[in-house]
Amino acid sequence: MENSKRRFLKGTCALFAGATGASLLATVNAAEGAKAESDIKYAMIHDETKCIGCRACEVACRETNQVPEGVSRVRIEQTGPFGEYPNEYYHFSRISCQHCEDAPCVNVCPTGAAFIDKETGIVSVNAWKCVGCQYCIAACPYKIRFINPVTHAADKCDFCRETNLAQGKQPACVEACPTKALVFGNLKDPTSELVQVLRANPTQRAKVALGTRPKLFRILAKSGEVIL
Amino acid sequence: MSKRQWLWSIRLGAIALLLSFGATSAESALQINSDTTCMKCHKRNGQMLGHHGQDAMKMTCSTCHGEKGDHPKKPNDIVVFGIKDGSELDTQLAVCHKCHTQRKLGETEWTHNVHAQKVPCAACHKLHSPTEPMADMTPKVRSELCRNCHSGR
Repeated sequence: MENSKRRFLKGTCALFAGATGASLLATVNAAEGAKAESDIKYAMIHDETKCIGCRACEVACRETNQVPEGVSRVRIEQTGPFGEYPNEYYHFSRISCQHCEDAPCVNVCPTGAAFIDKETGIVSVNAWKCVGCQYCIAACPYKIRFINPVTHAADKCDFCRETNLAQGKQPACVEACPTKALVFGNLKDPTSELVQVLRANPTQRAKVALGTRPKLFRILAKSGEVIL
Repeated sequence: MSKRQWLWSIRLGAIALLLSFGATSAESALQINSDTTCMKCHKRNGQMLGHHGQDAMKMTCSTCHGEKGDHPKKPNDIVVFGIKDGSELDTQLAVCHKCHTQRKLGETEWTHNVHAQKVPCAACHKLHSPTEPMADMTPKVRSELCRNCHSGR
């Protein structure tokens, strides 16, 4: 009788000790896991010196992500012509999500549909959570968000997070670019092509003064500034 | 009954006759293709079925390709259009620029400006075929056309 009581107490104590130990281990593991996951921070460079304005990126994006006609996740804005015949030239700049680290669209979203993926730093949209209030469209300083006429949810470039990236491929626009004007990669990996190109070239980002910390870099084609 | 069958066969016959007439007339209707000097040899590879062949334009083979000269002996002064085995770039461009001014071309399509005096028109445009490949291109076809030459990788 006494023996069984002792055994019971011992057993329960051991059980509690084990449980607390295991939960401690689990939290430590989780913390380490989170740390490891955040080693990826995706960014993109658009090298305007290489872009020829063929719009293969637009076509590929539309096909891969099933973007309906009339709206687009990426488009190439063309300005020009500059220079004199027969040496006229144009400027092409990519208009798409800048994947801000401090994204105004995410900050204003009342339902949590707009979010930053913790693993990759990609700004994305949960279509099923979106109620279509369009706060994000108003808040985005880069004016690249739109309501998808099919899903009726806010939509935008997500670096092909759900399509090409999920299959271990590069984003559709990057794969389609014939002149290799688009470079996609991990900002935190010093050996990645992205970081190498960033180190070797002067780059610009749009509206940095707003503090949005965008991750779409441009290599400017020619001086567009006032020359003094 | 037999009368009705007979009527039907006449109707069908008439339709068939009309169709065959239409087909033959479409082939030989254009004045430019009745140029016996050229068509003697180039009936197969020289039929002009495109927009530039319409009678109202009053064009002949020599309007673009130049006078016969020593052709088919070589060398000759016939203008050959194409990016690979065509005549000199300036020669080819001069022919098209006789009618198409650079300013208007540039206004219609920006790619004319960036390719000016760098590629012959025939690199993209095909004048002899009944359909012009540059007309009504889908964005995909268009970007693939760019890729044919601009392949940086």
